[in-house]
Amino acid sequence: MKFLRLTLLIASKDLRSEFRTKETLNASLSFALAILVLFSFAFDPDSDMIRQIAGGLLWMVFAFSSALILNRGFAREVPNDCLDTLIASPVSGAQLFLGKTVANYVLLLLVEAVSLPVFGVFYNANWARRIGLLALVFILAAWALAVMGTMFSALTVNLRLRELMLPALLYPALVPALMAAIQLTNLLIAGDTVGKEDQIWFRLLAGFDAIFTLLGLALAETVFVG
Amino acid sequence: MDARNFTFLFYGFLAAWLILIVYVVVIAARESKLRNEIERLRRMVEEREAK
Amino acid sequence: MRNPILYLFAAVAAVLLAWDLYQVFMILPDELNQGMIYRIIYFHVPAAMVAFAAFFASLVASAGYLTTKEMRYDSFSASAIEVGFVFATVNLVTGSIWGRIIWGIWWTWDARLTSMFVCWLLYAAYLLLRRAIDEPAQRARLSAVLSIFAFTDVVIVWKSIEWWRTQHPGPVLSIRGGGGMAPGMQAPLYWNALALALLATILLVLRMRQEAARREIDSLRRQAYAL
Repeated sequence: MKFLRLTLLIASKDLRSEFRTKETLNASLSFALAILVLFSFAFDPDSDMIRQIAGGLLWMVFAFSSALILNRGFAREVPNDCLDTLIASPVSGAQLFLGKTVANYVLLLLVEAVSLPVFGVFYNANWARRIGLLALVFILAAWALAVMGTMFSALTVNLRLRELMLPALLYPALVPALMAAIQLTNLLIAGDTVGKEDQIWFRLLAGFDAIFTLLGLALAETVFVG
Repeated sequence: MDARNFTFLFYGFLAAWLILIVYVVVIAARESKLRNEIERLRRMVEEREAK
Repeated sequence: MRNPILYLFAAVAAVLLAWDLYQVFMILPDELNQGMIYRIIYFHVPAAMVAFAAFFASLVASAGYLTTKEMRYDSFSASAIEVGFVFATVNLVTGSIWGRIIWGIWWTWDARLTSMFVCWLLYAAYLLLRRAIDEPAQRARLSAVLSIFAFTDVVIVWKSIEWWRTQHPGPVLSIRGGGGMAPGMQAPLYWNALALALLATILLVLRMRQEAARREIDSLRRQAYAL
């Protein structure tokens, strides 16, 4: 219980400071919208095309715009040695990691919740047909982004080349989750059912989330403290 | 088909060995670089100790 | 390399490889559907086996480093990944050349190929990360964590041909319950795997000595600055 309380304390601290300035959220959202607009020039968005590219387009947007959020998550703690203070505080590494992940997760979900309707308007896509399962995909895949992103931004926060190393590590590691999310989003936006053949993608997403959450919690202390 | 088959088989084995050989060359180059560096530092330490 | 055991390894590997090449090219017949090109498997699969064995060894050594904080585990882990990365490259390149003949294309994005490419990228990122950190203890700690994370993708690569219907052939070796290959055709493959494993061990030992040399350089530098 105490574990969760301190975790939520970290998460709420991050979210409060983010909502006061809204700097990363604004940057990430405007970046997401810019990519959506740019892609509409690259493709001719008729309904057949949308069937094929919806998933790829949306997750590309989320993956790139999330890098801004994930980078800031720990970079914000570097000035004034805030990170050292957090590590010295009674909050454990695992709590700090989970709290940061939750904060990033909320921000990612917000970006997704705004981008999806905008995507629907720009590309004339009727995305609400299978909204329940689509929401499940978004919830699972955003957690994958958040948990991997937080872990790797913790890994790279003290490096000289922080902004360069994070994408080099993060995107390859995310590929299995992104692949699953893209396949499922494609299916669901087209209004198809998820057949037996495609359930493997849900299992992959859930397994990815579970494994990396556990690994992250287990290794957080070593990453922060050593 | 069979002739092309054979050339590509040849390319495959060639590529595999080339990659390994290139790696060995890289290791050898690094070896001599490291050895020179150690020599240089040893001399530097000795010089400074002599002072 | 002054170590006599390394010479012994090199000799055994050379003999095995020569004998295998003779077997594969002179004795074994062409495969029924694929013709000659199937012989690539004798490099393609052993290279993957060696690469994955090296990545697994690095996983174990990384866990060892995180529990004991002994630098030699870190040297081992880094060396194993670098050698494994080379063999993973061999695997990808030979596979691509085979695909050009059998599928008519160099590359296709099925689950096996994609996950293997991701695996390659992840370990490339590992090598990049090591270059980006100067402080040895920090480098050892963070790269050990990354090695543990990256290994999950090796499991995905390994299992991908069972989980998905891929263009890449399914399991053919009887040790994986595939049983698509005649026993006489499988034997040279295992011997080749052994030969490449010996080769990898030699490279690994050489590479670990370089890590030791790097540590010596670090301590000499500190000494020089202190004087």
